[in-house]
Amino acid sequence: MYLVFTTNYFPWLTIIVVFPIFAGSLIFFLPHRGNRATRWYTICICILELLLTTYTFCYHFQSDDPLIQLVEDYKWIKFFDFHWRLGIDGLSIGPILLTGFITTLATLAAWPITRDSRLFHFLMLAMYSGQIGSFSSRDLLLFFIMWELELIPVYLLLSMWGGKKRLYSATKFILYTAGGSIFLLMGVLGVGLYSSNEPTLNFETLANQSYPVTLEILFYIGFFIAFAVKSPIIPLHTWLPDTHGEAHYSTCMLLAGILLKMGAYGLVRINMELLPHAHSIFSPWLMIVGTMQIIYAASTSPGQRNLKKRIAYSSVSHMGFIIIGIGSITDTGLNGAILQIISHGFIGAALFFLAGTSYDRIRLVYLDEMGGIAIPMPKIFTMFSSFSMASLALPGMGGFVAELVVFFGIITSQKFLLMPKILITFVMAIGIILTPIYLLSMSRQMFYGYKLFNVPNYSFLDFGPRELFVSISIFLPVVGIGIYPDFFLSLSVDKVEVILSNFFIDSFHE
Amino acid sequence: MEHTYQYAWIIPFAPLPVPVLIGAGLLLFPRATKKLRRMWAFQSVLLLSIAMILSIDMSIQQINSSSIHQYVWSWIINNDFSLEFGYLIDPLTSIMSILITTVGIMVLIYSDNYMSHDQGYLRFFAYMSFFSTSMLGLVTSSNLIQIYIFWELVGMSSYLLIGFWFTRPLAANACQKAFVTNRVGDFGLLLGILGFYWITGSFEFRDLFEIFNNLIYNNEVNVLFVILCAVLLFAGAVAKSAQFPLHVWLPDAMEGPTPISALIHAATMVAAGIFLVARLLPLFIVIPYIMNLISLIGIITVFLGATLALAQKDIKRGLAYSTMSQLGYMMLALGMGSYRTALFHLITHAYSKALLFLGSGSVIHSMETVVGYSPDKSQNMVLMGGLTKYVPITKTSFLLGTLSLCGIPPLACFWSKDEILNDSWLYSPIFAIIAWFTAGLTAFYMFRIYLLTFEGHLNVHFQDYSGKKSTLFYSISIWGKAYSKTINKSVRLLTLLRMNSNEMTSFFSKKTYRIDENVRNIIRPFITINHFGNKNTYSYPYESDNTMLFPLLVLVLFTLFVGSIGISFNHERMALDILTKWLIPSINLLHQNSNNSLDWYEFLKDAIFSVSIAYFGIFIALFLYKPVYSSLQNVDLINLFFKSKVGSNRILWDKIINVIYDWSYNRGYIDAFYTTSLTGGIRGLAELTHFFDRRVIDGITNGVGVMSFFVGEGIKYVGGGRISSYLFLYLSYVSIFLLIYYFFYITF
Repeated sequence: MYLVFTTNYFPWLTIIVVFPIFAGSLIFFLPHRGNRATRWYTICICILELLLTTYTFCYHFQSDDPLIQLVEDYKWIKFFDFHWRLGIDGLSIGPILLTGFITTLATLAAWPITRDSRLFHFLMLAMYSGQIGSFSSRDLLLFFIMWELELIPVYLLLSMWGGKKRLYSATKFILYTAGGSIFLLMGVLGVGLYSSNEPTLNFETLANQSYPVTLEILFYIGFFIAFAVKSPIIPLHTWLPDTHGEAHYSTCMLLAGILLKMGAYGLVRINMELLPHAHSIFSPWLMIVGTMQIIYAASTSPGQRNLKKRIAYSSVSHMGFIIIGIGSITDTGLNGAILQIISHGFIGAALFFLAGTSYDRIRLVYLDEMGGIAIPMPKIFTMFSSFSMASLALPGMGGFVAELVVFFGIITSQKFLLMPKILITFVMAIGIILTPIYLLSMSRQMFYGYKLFNVPNYSFLDFGPRELFVSISIFLPVVGIGIYPDFFLSLSVDKVEVILSNFFIDSFHE
Repeated sequence: MEHTYQYAWIIPFAPLPVPVLIGAGLLLFPRATKKLRRMWAFQSVLLLSIAMILSIDMSIQQINSSSIHQYVWSWIINNDFSLEFGYLIDPLTSIMSILITTVGIMVLIYSDNYMSHDQGYLRFFAYMSFFSTSMLGLVTSSNLIQIYIFWELVGMSSYLLIGFWFTRPLAANACQKAFVTNRVGDFGLLLGILGFYWITGSFEFRDLFEIFNNLIYNNEVNVLFVILCAVLLFAGAVAKSAQFPLHVWLPDAMEGPTPISALIHAATMVAAGIFLVARLLPLFIVIPYIMNLISLIGIITVFLGATLALAQKDIKRGLAYSTMSQLGYMMLALGMGSYRTALFHLITHAYSKALLFLGSGSVIHSMETVVGYSPDKSQNMVLMGGLTKYVPITKTSFLLGTLSLCGIPPLACFWSKDEILNDSWLYSPIFAIIAWFTAGLTAFYMFRIYLLTFEGHLNVHFQDYSGKKSTLFYSISIWGKAYSKTINKSVRLLTLLRMNSNEMTSFFSKKTYRIDENVRNIIRPFITINHFGNKNTYSYPYESDNTMLFPLLVLVLFTLFVGSIGISFNHERMALDILTKWLIPSINLLHQNSNNSLDWYEFLKDAIFSVSIAYFGIFIALFLYKPVYSSLQNVDLINLFFKSKVGSNRILWDKIINVIYDWSYNRGYIDAFYTTSLTGGIRGLAELTHFFDRRVIDGITNGVGVMSFFVGEGIKYVGGGRISSYLFLYLSYVSIFLLIYYFFYITF
C-alpha cells in the first residue's frame, strides 16, 4: 500500500474530503471543556471547510470546461487496481457547495444539543466528509465506500438523538439503505469486472465502455434500485417519513438537503453517464414513475397529521420533478433537474429547520392540536410562510425556475410523442394544484387562528438571532436562484451537454 | 420624448423597495422599524406617485403618437431555449398602469387612517406595495412567462392580504380558498402557455400572434389542440377575474381589510383576467369557439353575480358579488370582440367600485365603534340603517358610486355599460335580454345596499324608539324572523326575504337550522346593546377622518368625469374620443365599418331604454326597502297595496321570493357543491393514499421485518445448543438427499 503522485497540483480535493473527519476525530482528544467548546470548534471547522471549498472552486476550477478538473489519482490497493481518485466537474460542484452550506447551517442549528455533544459533532463532521467524498469521487468503488461511510453517522444520529420511535425508524432507515447498497455493490462489481481481467473502476474508462443490452439493463436496474431507495422513488419511500418524523431537525436538514440529492446525483452520474442505452430504454418509465410520485406524495401529504411527515412527503413529491427531468433526456430537462436538486436542497432543509424549531417551542407534533402560534412567534411565521411559498413554486424563488425548466424539458423533448407528453405535463401540473393545498393548510393549521393563544401560561419565544440567521441565510440563495438562475445553470450547463451528447451519438449510430 | 420609454422599467419596480425594506426591518430591527410607522406610509405613497407620473407621461405620448415600445433583457439563456425579461408599453399597458397607480395611491392614503390602530400597520403597507409592484409588473410584461410570474405574485399578495388578520379562522380559510382556486386557474394558464409555446415556439406576444395567425391561415395546426390550449389559457383569466365556475373565492376574500377589497378585489387584481384576455385577444379572435365560450362565461357570470348579490347581508359581500357581475360584463364585451368597450367598462367600474368599497370601509369603520370589531356585526347591514345623519360625506359619495354603478347618466358607468348593452344587441338577442335584465337587477341590489345602510334609523339603537327589547327583533326580522306578529304584514313587504317560520318550513327542511343560526348571530349584538343600555351610554357612528374622506372625494371626481374619455362628442368631424384614439392600434370587431360614429338618435334611444330599466330597478328597491318605520303612512300604503292583491297570489309571490332568497343566501349552492365534491374528494383521496401508504407499502416492509423476526426466533429455538436437535436436522437432511438421489437413480 503506497501512494503515487500523478498530479503536480496541490491535492485540494483530498484535503477537502479528509479535513472534516480528521478534524472531527480530534474532538475526542480535546480537553473536555464542555459543550460550548465543542460547538464552537465544530462550527469553525465547518466554516473553514466551506471557505476552503469556495476558494478552491473560485481559483482552481474553470466553469467553462466540461471536463473533470482538480483530478487526483493515487493508487491505493494495487492488485485490485483500486485508486483514490477524485475530481469534480460541473455536475458535482453544485451539490458539493450545497453540502458545505447546509452542513454548516445544520451544525449551527444543532446548537441546543447537549447530550453527548462530542459524539454528535463528530458524526456531523464524518457525514460531511462522506457526502463530499461521494460527490467528488471518480472511482466506482470509492464512490460506493463513501456512499456507505455516510450511512453510519446518519444511523447513529437517528438512533441516539431522535424522537420516541427513533429505534424503529433508525432500523428501518439502515435496512432500507443497506438493502439498496447491496444492489449498488452488485452493480459496481458487475460493471467493474466486466470485459477484462483487470477490474476497471475508473469513471472515464467506464463511460466509454459498452455492454450487451440485457446486461446493461440488469446493471441499470441494480443501480436504479440503490438510488431509488435514496432519492426516494415510490414505492421505496416509506423510510423517509419515519426517519424525518423522528430525527432531530439538524439531522433532518442534512437528510432532506443533501442525502436525498445523492440518489438523484447517482442517477445522473452512473445511470445516465455510464449506461446511456439502458437509460434511454428506461426513460419513459422514469417519466411515468416521476409523475406518479408527484401526485401520489402530494395527495398523501394532506392525510398526515404529523407536521414533519407532511413536509417529508412534500419533499418526496418534489423529488418527482428531478426524476422527470432526468427521464426527459433533454438538455433543458436535465438542467432543470440539477437546479431542482440545489433549490430543493435549500428549501427542504429550511422547512425541516422551521418545523423542528417550532416543535421545540410548542412541543406538539400533530397539526390538529396546533393553531394560532403566529401571534407569539411572528418571525417563525414569516419565515415559514416564505419557505412554504418557495416550496409551492412561487415565481421569484428557486423552486419555480427549476420546475418551469423541467416543464420545458418535457415539451421540448424529441423522444416522446405528442399524446404522452401532453398527458405527463397535464398530470404534473395537477401537482401544482395539490402542493398549495397541503402546504397552505399546514401553515393555516399551525399559525392561523387563535387556539394556542389562549393557553394559560404559555411562554413561546420567537426566533433568536442564531435561528434567524440560519433561516435568512437559506432564504437568500433561494431568492437568488429564483431571480438569477443563470448563475447556477452556468455551472452545470456544459457538463450536461457532454452527458447528453452521448445519447445523441448513440441514436445517430443506431 | 423617446427616452422616457427607456425608463419605463421603473414603473413596476418603483414600489419594490418598501416591502423589501420593511420586511428586512421587521425581521432584524422590529422595534426601530415600528417606530417609523408613518414614514413608511409616506414612502410608499411617494414611490407609487413616481410610477403614476411616469405612466401618465407615457400615456399622453401614447395618445399623441400611438406607438408600441418594447425592451427586453435575457434572463435564462440555454442552448435550447431562452427566456427574456422585458417590458411592453402599449395603450393597454398605460391604461392599466394609470388605473393601478391612481387607485393604489388613493387606497394607500385611505388605509393610513383605516389601519392606523392595527398592529400590522407596517406589514399592511409592505404587502400593499408588493402588490403594486407585481400588478404593475403584470401589466407591463412583454411575454407570457413574465405574465405567469407576476400573475402568481399577484395571487400571493392577495393571499397574504386576505389572510391579513390571521387570527380569524374565517380569514384563514378564505385566504387558502382564494389561493387554491387561483392555483386552479394558474394550472390552466401554465399549461396553456406551454401549449402555445409548443405550437409556435415563442412566448413573445407579437411573435406569437404573427406565427399563430400564419399557422391558422395555412391550416397547419391541430384545431382541437389549439382550442384545448386556448381554453386552458382562458381558465387562468376565469379564476383571477372570478368568472363563473371559479368565482367562489371572491366573496370570501372580503375577509381582508376593506382597502384591500377596494384595491385588489374590485379595481385591479380581478381585472387582471380581463387584461389577459384583452392582451391575447388577437390570439383568441381567430378561434371563434373560444370567443363564444368567453361571452358565454361572461353572461353566466353577469347573471349569477347579480342574483347572488340580491340577499347578502354583509355589505362587502354584496359589493363583491356585484363586482363579479360587472366583471362578467367586461368578459362578455371581450367575447363579443368589442375590446374598447370592455376596457372602458374596466376603467369606469374600477373607479366606481373602489369608491363604493372605500365608502363601505368608512361605514364599517364608523360602525365598529358602535357594535364592536367583529366583521359579523360591523359589516352587517342588519345593524346599519339611517347612517345618513352620522356620516353625510360618506353617504353622498356612496350614493354617487351606487348611481354610477346603476348606470344613471352623467356618471361614469353609464357610458360604458350602455355601450356594452348596445353591442350585445348586435351580438345575440338572448344575451342582450339577459344583460339588460341584469342591468335592472344591478340597480335593484345596489339600491338595496344603499337603502339598508343609509336610510331609515340606526337599527342597533332601535329600542330607542319603543323601549322594548322585542322590537330589536323586529328590526332584525328583515333577515328571517317575524317574531312580532303585529307588524307582520309590513315586514313581509319590507323584506323580499324570509317570512313566517311556519311558512318557511314548508319549503326546505334545512331552514329551521338556519333560523337557529340567525338567532345566534343576532343575539350577540342584542346582548351587546343590552350592555350598552344598562350603562345608558349610546355611542353613535361618526364620520371618518379627513385622510379617509379625501380619497373618497377624489374617487368621486373620477367617477363623475372618467366617463368622458369614452364619449364621442362631435361625430361629424370624425374626431374620435380619447379612448378610441388611445386604442387605435387595437382591434374592434363589431364596429369595423361603422367608423365609431354613433348616431345620436340610436344612442338616445338605447340610453333611455337602459336608464329606464335602471330606474325601474331602483324603484322596486325603494318600494321594498324604504324603511317603514320612518314614515307610518308608507306602511299603510304598502299594506293597502298588498291587501288588494289576492291571497293565493301573495303566497306564490312569497314562494318565489323564498326561492330567490335561498338561492342567493346559499350562494347558488355552488360553494356547498364544491365543498362536498372537491374538498371532500381530496380529503378522501388523501385518506385513501395515506391508508395505502401506511398499510400496503409500509405493510410489506414491516411484514418482512416481522417475518424475519419470527424466522430468527424459530432458528434460535431450533439452534438452542442441543446436540440431539442438530443431529436430527443433519440426519433428516441427509435422508432427504438420499431419498431424492434414490428416486433419480431409479428413474434414469
